[in-house]
Amino acid sequence: MLSVESLAYTYPEGTEAVRGVDFAIEQGEIFGFLGPSGAGKSTTQKVLIRLLRGFQGQITVLGKPLNEWDDSYYEQVGVAFELPNHYQKLTARENLSLFRTLYSGDTRDPAELLEMVGLAEDANTRLSQFSKGMQMRLNFVRALIHQPDLLFLDEPTTGLDPVNGQKIKEILRQQKEEGRTIFLTTHDMTVADQICDRVAFIVDGKITLIDSPRNLRLQHGQRRVRVEYHKDETSSPAQHAEFPLDGLADSDQFLNILRTNRIETIHTQEATLEDIFIQTTGRSLT
Amino acid sequence: MIGTLVVNDIKLFFRNRFFAIVTAIGVVFYLIIYFLLPNQVDENLGMAFFIEDREIPLYQRLIDENDENPGGDYTIFDSEAEMLTALEESGDFFVGLSLPADLSAAAARGEQVELNAYYAPGVPAEAKQIFHDVLVLVANTINPETLASLARFNDTGIVLGNDMTGAPLSMRDRFAPLLLMMIVIIEVFGLATLLNRDVDNGTARALVTGPLRLHQFFVGKALMGMVLAFGQVLLLSAVMGILGTAPLLLLTTLLLGSLLMVGLGFFIAAISKDNTSVMGWAIVFIIPMVFPGFSVVLPGLSTGWIELIPSYFFVDSLHRIINFGAGRADVAGNLALLLLVGAGSMAVGTAAILRKF
Repeated sequence: MLSVESLAYTYPEGTEAVRGVDFAIEQGEIFGFLGPSGAGKSTTQKVLIRLLRGFQGQITVLGKPLNEWDDSYYEQVGVAFELPNHYQKLTARENLSLFRTLYSGDTRDPAELLEMVGLAEDANTRLSQFSKGMQMRLNFVRALIHQPDLLFLDEPTTGLDPVNGQKIKEILRQQKEEGRTIFLTTHDMTVADQICDRVAFIVDGKITLIDSPRNLRLQHGQRRVRVEYHKDETSSPAQHAEFPLDGLADSDQFLNILRTNRIETIHTQEATLEDIFIQTTGRSLT
Repeated sequence: MIGTLVVNDIKLFFRNRFFAIVTAIGVVFYLIIYFLLPNQVDENLGMAFFIEDREIPLYQRLIDENDENPGGDYTIFDSEAEMLTALEESGDFFVGLSLPADLSAAAARGEQVELNAYYAPGVPAEAKQIFHDVLVLVANTINPETLASLARFNDTGIVLGNDMTGAPLSMRDRFAPLLLMMIVIIEVFGLATLLNRDVDNGTARALVTGPLRLHQFFVGKALMGMVLAFGQVLLLSAVMGILGTAPLLLLTTLLLGSLLMVGLGFFIAAISKDNTSVMGWAIVFIIPMVFPGFSVVLPGLSTGWIELIPSYFFVDSLHRIINFGAGRADVAGNLALLLLVGAGSMAVGTAAILRKF
């Protein structure tokens, strides 16, 4: 679906933003592109959506080199930017209708899209009266209006409350099930962990790691379990103990804690994506 | 696609209450100014006379002229007080001349005489000198020994610029090109604001990452600016009743003028950060652009450097077409330069705005 080989991009003033990036995304995959600000995420996305030209390397999208695509490219891809960019004097329905008329292929009914993200009742409200979260939801569905094969989404859940964030994640999973490919740029490790099939860490214009969140967690985590417990029913301070996962069922000490104490929590000690990012890049995501 | 963009932009323009009100008020205001201006030129130089000695030849000559041409430039009063009252209250006279009773006799004796001349406040020194000379000549005609018998005056009329003999331009005529140009220039502000918002808010980026191409985006914006400016000047021209004068040539001029201003609008949008800076930059560019318009209204104030301002070719062409019935050949040079400057302005404006993408 999308393959990038030795991608490099230097801005006209001389800043090397991307320095030899390689990755490939299969059809129906949700690919998370993670990195701190200034790592090269946005530049890579701008190259892929053809806002920046003059890159080095090979990019193939939907079986054709990016440079050989004509204007029909944008009939195949959908783009949602990190910040809402709508006409504030138009209503939500008018904004979607305007973009709908620009596409020559089949498009979705704006009312249906607004319903999908819980904005049906606000269809005729001007965007100037929308909250940031509402504008972000509209941003997101605008990218879906022409039913593209490939979606480029930049921080689609930023500014959303947990309920609407969850709704967007469900829609993304649904898009994946329908066979769409999603290139997701984010620095939200939780979102990446929950919905991405694979993630790539990018730092200083280079990809340092690509794998599925599960594999990363298993590879970089500790095969241990941590138990927090209280020795009696009184309000004594919580105590904790850690045990290797291997042979846990035969650990008398572990079983004894379970039998004789009030258990507060039991957690396996796999790493979070954020831990792995810091561990492998030496940088934090903020 | 471009049509959709233009329609959308015009919708946005009129949904902006400020632009909608300013545009409506602007058109109405300019029309009111136009129709309030006098459409005729008062060519009379009102002169008041009190001639105490009615035997002198001048008195009879003025009486004869008044009989031949009633309501002419001369009015003869029966007393100096009556003349002074008329001078002060009517406002119809530039000058009042009072010739004393002993003028004839004193002049004949070669004695000094006092001639009283009364001027409206504002009459320039040169005009006063002319009236002094008239008085001297009047005195000379009384004494046959003096200048009147010795001199012959050959008056030769030389036309400087357009020969407006018998068809002087009224203020209304002079203001018409200026008002049309003002409408087009004011639209620079609206266009620059919309374009600046599109680029800074990211809507432009959202559009060009859809099937709309960058060049289509710019063509759409340019068309929107031209439709806005052109629509208003068409309306204004129609109400002013000047569309009948070489309509094709007039429309071509208005179109080329709009092109120049659209380029300027692009440039202002490119160098501005927000609405406030758009307004600031627009004022910086709009004021000099208006200067050539005043050279049409007040031609005496015009100096050579005015012709270096690009809008000069625009307003001068409008002036020639509307007020002098100029044809294609008369304004071809102006229009060619306007096209050149307009294309240059579009190129610079587009290059500048591209840097913001």
